Amino acid sequence: MLKRRIIPRLDIRDGRVVKGVHFRGMRDPEDPVEAARLYDRQGADELCFINITGTEDGRRKFRDVVRRVAPQVFVPVTAGGGVRREEDVRNLLSAGADKVIVNSAVVVSPRLITRLADRYGQQSIVVGVDVRRLTPMRPGDPVLHEVLVHGRTRSTGLDALWWCQQVDLLGAGELLITSVDAEEGRTGYDLEFTRAVARRVSTPVIVCGGVSNLEHIRQGLAVGEGEGDGALGASIFHFGLYTIEQAKRYLHERGIPVRLPARRAA
Amino acid sequence: MARELTLVDAGHGNLGGVERALLQVGASVQVSSDPDVVARSRMVVFAGQGAFAPAVARVVEGALGEALRMVIQRGDPFLGISLGMQLLFDGSQESDSVEGLHVLPGLCRRFPNDMTLREGDAERRLKVPHMGWNNVEPSGEHYYFVHSYYVEPAQASDVMWTAKYANIVFAAAVNRDNVYGCQFHPEKSQQAGLRFLRAFLLGGKAA
Repeated sequence: MLKRRIIPRLDIRDGRVVKGVHFRGMRDPEDPVEAARLYDRQGADELCFINITGTEDGRRKFRDVVRRVAPQVFVPVTAGGGVRREEDVRNLLSAGADKVIVNSAVVVSPRLITRLADRYGQQSIVVGVDVRRLTPMRPGDPVLHEVLVHGRTRSTGLDALWWCQQVDLLGAGELLITSVDAEEGRTGYDLEFTRAVARRVSTPVIVCGGVSNLEHIRQGLAVGEGEGDGALGASIFHFGLYTIEQAKRYLHERGIPVRLPARRAA
Repeated sequence: MARELTLVDAGHGNLGGVERALLQVGASVQVSSDPDVVARSRMVVFAGQGAFAPAVARVVEGALGEALRMVIQRGDPFLGISLGMQLLFDGSQESDSVEGLHVLPGLCRRFPNDMTLREGDAERRLKVPHMGWNNVEPSGEHYYFVHSYYVEPAQASDVMWTAKYANIVFAAAVNRDNVYGCQFHPEKSQQAGLRFLRAFLLGGKAA
């Protein structure tokens, strides 16, 4: 049976892990290579690196991080953040990323999704969708979500559910949905929304939000709740609150299929 | 002495990860797209990702395909990874025009888009590609898969390991004599993947 994926997310600024990864035994908490190796050893199912700088220099340093990390780990590596042109996608893939996240660029030019999928393989193109819940004008009106772009600073007026379906039809290999409200409030994921998407698209859905406990992760992945195929978590892992293994044991005990750490060493 | 092997560069997919994993388990790796080099190699790994498409057919029909067949017929260890495994078979059910290497009998099929699975008391939609970690039988070990097509070998004895998606049981790894194939990506499957590559390198059945 296919398992749900637990994916630590590492934000990168100027080649360093933002706020650091704080585990016993880490010599340099901000070193992306050391952090990646540690999560690989802990049994993370995949690693996700996000470039949070918008500058050309930041992009260059980020590529360098991917280039240094990829040979050190034996799990899929996803990279994204500030990916604007096809050239950025190509650069990250050739630096060793298995998948690249595109976000604002494909809102401006949706056909880019198809072009990238054709050229680099559908499985390597992840479309990131940042969504914000809109307060209904009257109580009882349906809750709508809109797509935000440019580091969540700009509204697009696009209905997020519609957009996710478009992205799926255009050939994205995976959807990464970030609920901006849930992230700010650290209230987990926007379960209603991710579930609505998961039921309508044919590609895997990865949920991202503001996880502050293991129950949030369980909700994001459970059938009838978030229905994600994978869950991204950042500070919940980075600050040593829980290890990947603890998270997986928690999920396993509650009926979520996960890959438990290997029974024996190689 | 490291085992020397050739990693075939057929121009599709990033081979860096596979090369790195082979180095990690002690192989001495030569990456080549030259049919002559491939034909002379005493151990060959052929990795690929994507669909059974015309671009792939050109590899099979060309000099490179001839070189791969030579290695296999000579009895030297051969490992096909992902698309590289699918190419060992006759072809794809979806397109008659694209043929494989005909080393092992069987066809590739696409996972249907409308698969569901009961989980608890709810029905869950299964996505295509089959992407992520799945357990294989008989070992129960997990490996990382990314594929929309799966192989249906015509001969049951060629199937070494199986995996299951929805109610479809497919070949996760195949073996006949010196020929091995795996649908999963050993280079992305942490320690389990490295163990698989190490076992291939040592020439025995993967443990």
